[in-house]
Amino acid sequence: MIDAAVAVSGLTKVFPVPFHRQPIVAVRGLDLRVQAGEVYGLLGPNGSGKSTTLKIILGLVSPTRGHTEIFGHDSRLVESREAVGFLPENPYFYKYLTGEETLRFFGRLCGLSGARLKKRIDELLELVGLTNARDRRLGTYSKGMLQRIGLAQALINEPKLVLLDEPTAGVDPAGSREIRNLIVDLKRSGITVLLSSHLLAQVQEICDRVAILANGVLVREGQLAELIAIENQTEFVVANASSHLVEEIESLIGRSNAQLIERRRSTTTLERLFLDATKNHEARNK
Amino acid sequence: MDMPHRFFSFGRIAAITLNTLTELTRQKAFYVLLIFALLLIGSSIFMARLTFQQEFQILKDVSLGAMSIFTSLLAIVATARLIPKDVEDCTVYTILAKPVPRFEYVLGKLAGVLLLLAISTLVMSAMFLVVLYTREQAMLHQTLSQMSAAPREQVDDALRAVRSSALNINIFPGVAIIYLKACLLAALTLFVSMFATTNIFTIVVMVFIYFIGHLQAIAREYWLQEHSAGWMARLFLVLVALIFPDLQTFNLVDDIVAGAAIPLGLFAKTAGLGIFYTAIYGLLAAFVFSGKEL
Ligand SMILES: Nc1ncnc2c1ncn2[C@@H]1O[C@H](COP(=O)(O)OP(=O)(O)O)[C@@H](O)[C@H]1O
Ligand SMILES: [Mg+2]
Repeated sequence: MIDAAVAVSGLTKVFPVPFHRQPIVAVRGLDLRVQAGEVYGLLGPNGSGKSTTLKIILGLVSPTRGHTEIFGHDSRLVESREAVGFLPENPYFYKYLTGEETLRFFGRLCGLSGARLKKRIDELLELVGLTNARDRRLGTYSKGMLQRIGLAQALINEPKLVLLDEPTAGVDPAGSREIRNLIVDLKRSGITVLLSSHLLAQVQEICDRVAILANGVLVREGQLAELIAIENQTEFVVANASSHLVEEIESLIGRSNAQLIERRRSTTTLERLFLDATKNHEARNK
Repeated sequence: MDMPHRFFSFGRIAAITLNTLTELTRQKAFYVLLIFALLLIGSSIFMARLTFQQEFQILKDVSLGAMSIFTSLLAIVATARLIPKDVEDCTVYTILAKPVPRFEYVLGKLAGVLLLLAISTLVMSAMFLVVLYTREQAMLHQTLSQMSAAPREQVDDALRAVRSSALNINIFPGVAIIYLKACLLAALTLFVSMFATTNIFTIVVMVFIYFIGHLQAIAREYWLQEHSAGWMARLFLVLVALIFPDLQTFNLVDDIVAGAAIPLGLFAKTAGLGIFYTAIYGLLAAFVFSGKEL
């Protein structure tokens, strides 16, 4: 059997609370399998245990019960993190380092050095659009820039799996769009992505599969397309339809057994409107 | 691409060490402390001049005292925040999400502080030697001009007396011991910071340990006089010595100020003790951190 990129079985995490008899159960009996090559979304409201699950998968937090693996390696072993990149929630790096120094530091931790590391740093700064800010200290970066340097840092060792904790939270629409495009690119180059988010509309378009957590319990899991499909309905989007054509279609439907549920003007999304409207006034710090 | 994971990597530790050094040297506090120490050492140039022996004694006493206090202070202040700050800011998650064993992280951090202390000690020593050399030259000139009429041998004797009480090789083991004492304090601070929730706690505990550490030798003698030294008493004393290292042992300044050489045996024993304590506390810190819930 081929090892899943991430396997979580029977995972439970209990945080004792000082001076309270009732401990917090952050994750309850969770089972997950992320297949290699897919984009997997861990969804749920704040406090539902997403970050805790990711930290346990990375061996940063120890589980109370259960077991997690990355490509068949036990999370508790350091070697399980060889081929992994992680973008923490609200990434906070060393403020006194510049963008370039940050990537160099994390590259060295992954055993990179010399010309190879230098080349990789240049590539990644270009990829996340921070080439012009490479010599600025992170203390002066905006939230979106921190998120992007965090993403670059997660990719420094050319990982096979990346874990992204709320990658688009707190980032403006254009930044969020860039990050989502990057995730799609990662998937295209064969990298497995496990991300957590509570911004459902944003992850809907990029995830292959999702798991929904509530209070640490898995409430839904499966292929996104299957989960959200409405079996007995069909949508058309028609351009340049004359009023005559529309009437004819409606009467055609009326004569059949089907019911017309809704008829409306197509709208663009607010996001697309926003992106178009602001594109020409870009003064973003790149 | 797949390389077997190495359980221990100097490259990774060096990356953390250098990063820690960068962190500490990009803080203002470090320069304030260092400049203050340099000013104190430099100002001893203007000390009251009595006889040259007294002048050099005061100069060494002040300078080595300043070095000892400032390296100790720096060791405690610089180390107390080091790991708790990373944990608080979650930077530690990003580091440990890389294939970095926890003990390498702790050892890298400690090595960064030890490097900072070494640099500070070198800078302060350089200042000290410059001051000492300047005063020695001035004193030699003065002696020569005062004794211009005296016979040749008498002049030579006088110059030799000045030289031997000023800059001589005996100073260096003293500086090495001051450095090792600071290393010990840094490692102990790192260990204490593993249990602390605030920096103030760590610093207060360390100041407490610093004073007890200096007083414990006296206390021990007094205690042994009062009580018979049974095995229980001895065990108790060993435990106390582990928690509160006998810092007075590292105080060899008096010998140096008096112009005497530190006996080689004493130097080796003290240096060994310093390295031993530093290693033990460093390993204990790494051990505690490895099992810690972040
Ligand atoms: N270190 C901790 N100590 C105590 N409780 C914690 C700790 N980390 C997380 N929790 C609790 O566990 C629950 C899940 O948190 P988290 O995994 O961060 O949720 P999410 O990422 O889905 O917002 C929350 O109720 C949170 O308060
Ligand atoms: Mg979270």
